[in-house]
Amino acid sequence: MSEWISLVILIPALPLVGSIVTALVGRRLGERVGLPVIVALVGSSCASIALVVEMVRAMATESAGESSLGFERILTVGSWIAVDARPIGVALRADPLTAVMLTVVSLVSLLVAIYSTGYLRDDPGRPRYFAFIGLFAFSMTMLVSVSNFLLLYLFWEWVGLCSYLLIGYWYQKPSAAAAAKKAFLTTRLGDLGLLIGLFLIWMQFGTFDFHDTLVEGKVVAQGIFGLSRLSAAAPYAGTWMVTTICLLMTWAAMGKSAQFPLHVWLPDAMEGPSPVSALIHAATMVTAGVYLIARSAPLFAASGSAGLVVAVIGAISATGAALVALTQTDMKRVLAYSTISQLGYMFMAVGLASSTGVASGMFHLVTHAFFKALLFLAAGNVLVATGHVLDLRRFGGLRHRLPATCVMFGIGALGLAGLFPLAGFWSKEPILMALSARASQGGPEGAVWLVCYLLAFLMTFVTAFYIARVYFVTFFGPYRMPDESKATKPESCRAMTVPLGVLASATVLIGVALKPTGWFDRFLAQTPTLACLAPEEPFHAGLMVELVGTAVVLAGILLAAFLYLRPNRLLDVLSQMMRRLGLYQLSQGKFFVDELFYALVVGPLLRVAAWSGWFDDRVVDRSADEVGRAAGRLGGLLRLTQNGVVSFYALAMMVGLVALLMVIW
Amino acid sequence: MNPSVELLFHYQLVGALLFGIGVVGFLSRRNQIVLFLSVEMMLQGAAVSLVGWGRYHQDWGGQVLILVSITIAACEAAVGLALILMLEHRRGSLDLALWCRLHEDDLPDAAPDPSEEDLAPPEIDWPRLPTAGLLPETPPEDEYRDHV
Repeated sequence: MSEWISLVILIPALPLVGSIVTALVGRRLGERVGLPVIVALVGSSCASIALVVEMVRAMATESAGESSLGFERILTVGSWIAVDARPIGVALRADPLTAVMLTVVSLVSLLVAIYSTGYLRDDPGRPRYFAFIGLFAFSMTMLVSVSNFLLLYLFWEWVGLCSYLLIGYWYQKPSAAAAAKKAFLTTRLGDLGLLIGLFLIWMQFGTFDFHDTLVEGKVVAQGIFGLSRLSAAAPYAGTWMVTTICLLMTWAAMGKSAQFPLHVWLPDAMEGPSPVSALIHAATMVTAGVYLIARSAPLFAASGSAGLVVAVIGAISATGAALVALTQTDMKRVLAYSTISQLGYMFMAVGLASSTGVASGMFHLVTHAFFKALLFLAAGNVLVATGHVLDLRRFGGLRHRLPATCVMFGIGALGLAGLFPLAGFWSKEPILMALSARASQGGPEGAVWLVCYLLAFLMTFVTAFYIARVYFVTFFGPYRMPDESKATKPESCRAMTVPLGVLASATVLIGVALKPTGWFDRFLAQTPTLACLAPEEPFHAGLMVELVGTAVVLAGILLAAFLYLRPNRLLDVLSQMMRRLGLYQLSQGKFFVDELFYALVVGPLLRVAAWSGWFDDRVVDRSADEVGRAAGRLGGLLRLTQNGVVSFYALAMMVGLVALLMVIW
Repeated sequence: MNPSVELLFHYQLVGALLFGIGVVGFLSRRNQIVLFLSVEMMLQGAAVSLVGWGRYHQDWGGQVLILVSITIAACEAAVGLALILMLEHRRGSLDLALWCRLHEDDLPDAAPDPSEEDLAPPEIDWPRLPTAGLLPETPPEDEYRDHV
């Protein structure tokens, strides 16, 4: 049982080493520039899976003896700093929640890195790209495995930095540079919440550690999520303080996970390469917010109302983003809004702060990582074929040109739509179920939960419709290609299709393999932070919900097929009607959130900046200049004596001599 | 007055006169060599003064100092005359007033540059000697006076 120590160290360390090697000798590797990072990620993936296996084995042997507060292992690597004699240690943890995140992150990173070798085959900046990918994998694995809020914050910023660097990978493109800046600033705005939250955590708990500090088996310092605290009857006192901390964390999670109103950076982040969108902006980094809330679930459970706020924000994001995705014409933007929408589902689920809610949210996180990465990578194939044209209106009928991609995108789309028996079905239905269970408890909060549930349910229809729309418009209908596609090859190389195949089989299989067997829920429930939550009686609304859900999804897909498979007059009539109602413009304009931000935040800030610029120029700089100029003017007076006439110098000499003599006298 | 003090006074008087003449010459003349001579004269004035003081104190120090200063004056003469020679080569004249543009470019000119003015001598009807070999012009005889 000591293997886990090397495993939890290897998982983050390998990508870091790969990244450093790539940064140092990447230029010499030529065609094989991706090799160090890919090898490192293969190692990380194997280590993650080994960690899960190891953990399952350990749980099986342990469950007989110990109490049921779950499974965790803490590896204290060292001490970082000490504040008021309270040390802040560098500790890695191994528990089911971390293990799930590690597995998803390392697997998707590996597949995306392999795909990138094909996608960026001729790009001159590849060493930089792979170094950043390795750095990102390191930061993300550290983010989910550290056992300390301060280190979590540190790596929270690291992944933000990696996101910035990779969005701006094509930094020569002004739009990419602007998108990178926007993403960084917007997420920083959110991160401010986490920072303030950290202060409050320090005030409230006096530590940043999740775990208890043990000396010779006795607890010397209670961690925030330490076993000793979690096993107490009422672990968190001072509810309003806990609520404030939770709300600040929610704010941070909204920034990172692109929830309304801090979602504006994610659609723009699509300026980065497609594999980056797949890895960072769909599968891993944007789920950090969900992970944070899932990790802090006991706090949210103690606060009560904070979870409701999370769910409401999730519902707004899920609904708004799905509606915006209906009319966007940029292929990757549709997928970006879809990501926001799906993250909204996860927020609703973890906002429940119950064991079933968090488990369903985390499972949706896992399945979403796979099918959304699949969709983004398939979209990358389409972009390669069309010569990097994104506009859905300019291409169509690609099913003969890209047969493999057509199948893969279809599987991903069905996974996203949540059709039985693909992954999305197995992860979305439990969320709906958990929401309806909470809504049925009644009360004033129950009404809000009911609205969330209804919106989530309706949006499954919209989700199925918009993703089917993209699929049909891209791959079916009359063949159409933009002029930019002249030089492209018919189907992408193997490095780009094999990862797609792996992701597609994952999309088909993981739902069936992990959910109906209950394996995932049982495994995740062993996390101490989730095991402490009050147990709920299993709620099952019956087969009706699942049947109706499937019917709704099918209806969405069929409606899209009816409208988009071949030119349809009804479509024109519908869109005309929507245009006249103004709904179309509202969706096309993304509910004008960007404009709202500009009017409320950016515009006033620019005005303040202009004022302070004026003040700096006219007052601060001017006074400094004037002091300098005064010295010059004084010097100018003395310069007049250097008038260049030799006789004058002789006279001055004599006058000086006389003056000197008089002084001496 | 004590005789030795009187003697000292005379020495100092002569030294001060020499020095004063040197100063006046230094300030009022334009020829660089004359200027140089004026400086030498000031030096000699100082030397005389030193001799007087040495004598007054019954001490050789003053005269030793003069020997040193003569050495320095020799060096000064070597450097100074070489400098004057170079200046003369540059402008073709020893006139110090020609060197009045040594200031920085952006300062105004403090004195007129003689080289820029018309150097032609003013027209004055000086009396002239008659041209050799010719008879001087004489007035007609009928205008001669009767008596001289």
